[in-house]
Amino acid sequence: MGVSGLRRANDPPLLILVSLAEGPKHGHALAKDIEDFAGVRLGPGALYGAITRLVERGLIEPFGGDDRRRPYRITPPGSAALAEALADLRRITRAGVARLGLDPA
Amino acid sequence: MKPASLLRWYPRAWRERYGEELLALIQDTLEDGRPTWRLRLGVIRGGLRERGHQAWQAGKAAFHGWLPMGVVVGLVVVSIPGNLKTPLPPARAGQATAAFDALAGIMALTGVCVLAGALVAIPAFAAFLRAGGWPKIRRRAAWAAGATLAAGGGLAWLAFMLRSMSFAQVNRSLAYVTGEIATSLAVVIALGLWASVAQATAKHLRFGPRARAAQPLLAAATMTGMLTILSANLIWTAVIQSSLLWLVVGVANLAAVGVVTPRMVGRAIRRGRRLRAAAGQGPTINPSAQRTSGRDRA
Repeated sequence: MGVSGLRRANDPPLLILVSLAEGPKHGHALAKDIEDFAGVRLGPGALYGAITRLVERGLIEPFGGDDRRRPYRITPPGSAALAEALADLRRITRAGVARLGLDPA
Repeated sequence: MKPASLLRWYPRAWRERYGEELLALIQDTLEDGRPTWRLRLGVIRGGLRERGHQAWQAGKAAFHGWLPMGVVVGLVVVSIPGNLKTPLPPARAGQATAAFDALAGIMALTGVCVLAGALVAIPAFAAFLRAGGWPKIRRRAAWAAGATLAAGGGLAWLAFMLRSMSFAQVNRSLAYVTGEIATSLAVVIALGLWASVAQATAKHLRFGPRARAAQPLLAAATMTGMLTILSANLIWTAVIQSSLLWLVVGVANLAAVGVVTPRMVGRAIRRGRRLRAAAGQGPTINPSAQRTSGRDRA
């Protein structure tokens, strides 16, 4: 596990960072986007728990908006942590693909 | 159960920061429907996890740096009654008295540093209370007061046993040893909880430039005093028990204090100067909050 603390591909913090890499989003837009690209349905409790941790670690930050539907955006340390986590996942994927003899499409 | 009532499961500070956002998300998710049990359980689980996280963070902050000091104070406090009770041959009585006087003197000086730190903070603390800050620290203070009462009760129990038993009886008494361990723990916990109260309060205090500059130096002096108390207590115990091991450990600890103290005081003076200089350039800021935000950013 790297400094970012991101571990698995379906970790809520990792999914949130991937979603915010596209641009700022508020809670509901994040949940819908994550469901669309990862097929993972994050409940409000899990989503806001992950948002809280990411804000604490400075990986995302609130970005204007009204108090009730406040958008969040990824910070430069958040982008770096995401890149690091994706590199880890890519390495694991390559190893798995090679060992299974699959075609790396 | 209405969505708003689910927020009760979260800590108050979290509710104030994220509560409205979470409610908006729940409402967006429901789209005029009723919250399902799965959604409710998810929110409740999130709230409990948040409470656990907050309690863990508070505990870590309270004991970070204070735990070693708490252990020192706990050990010293519970060892004093037993050492005073130990019978001494007349030849060593003078040395033991001198060692105890040195310990008492260092404890008094350290107490003065702690008191000075408290006095420096009094104007800011009074302003905090006048602004209605008491509810923010009430619960922590109640826990700390409870732990202090328990520690005081433990010390009273030890003193009672020492008065009612001979030295040989004390040495064989399981109840006394158990009482010593329990009281040490109570002292450590009480100190940790008071440290937590101090940290929670310091976040809300607005210090003037002089108080801000004085704080790091007073903290360094208190830390030095604590470490010296440990050395003096070890040397006193060594004299009473004729123990070469305790004497070596005590003197080595004192030498380490002699090496560490100039650096610690130098750092504190430089930090005090920086804080005072910063005060001349901008609005009054809270040094502990500044330190926290710096760590969060890192």
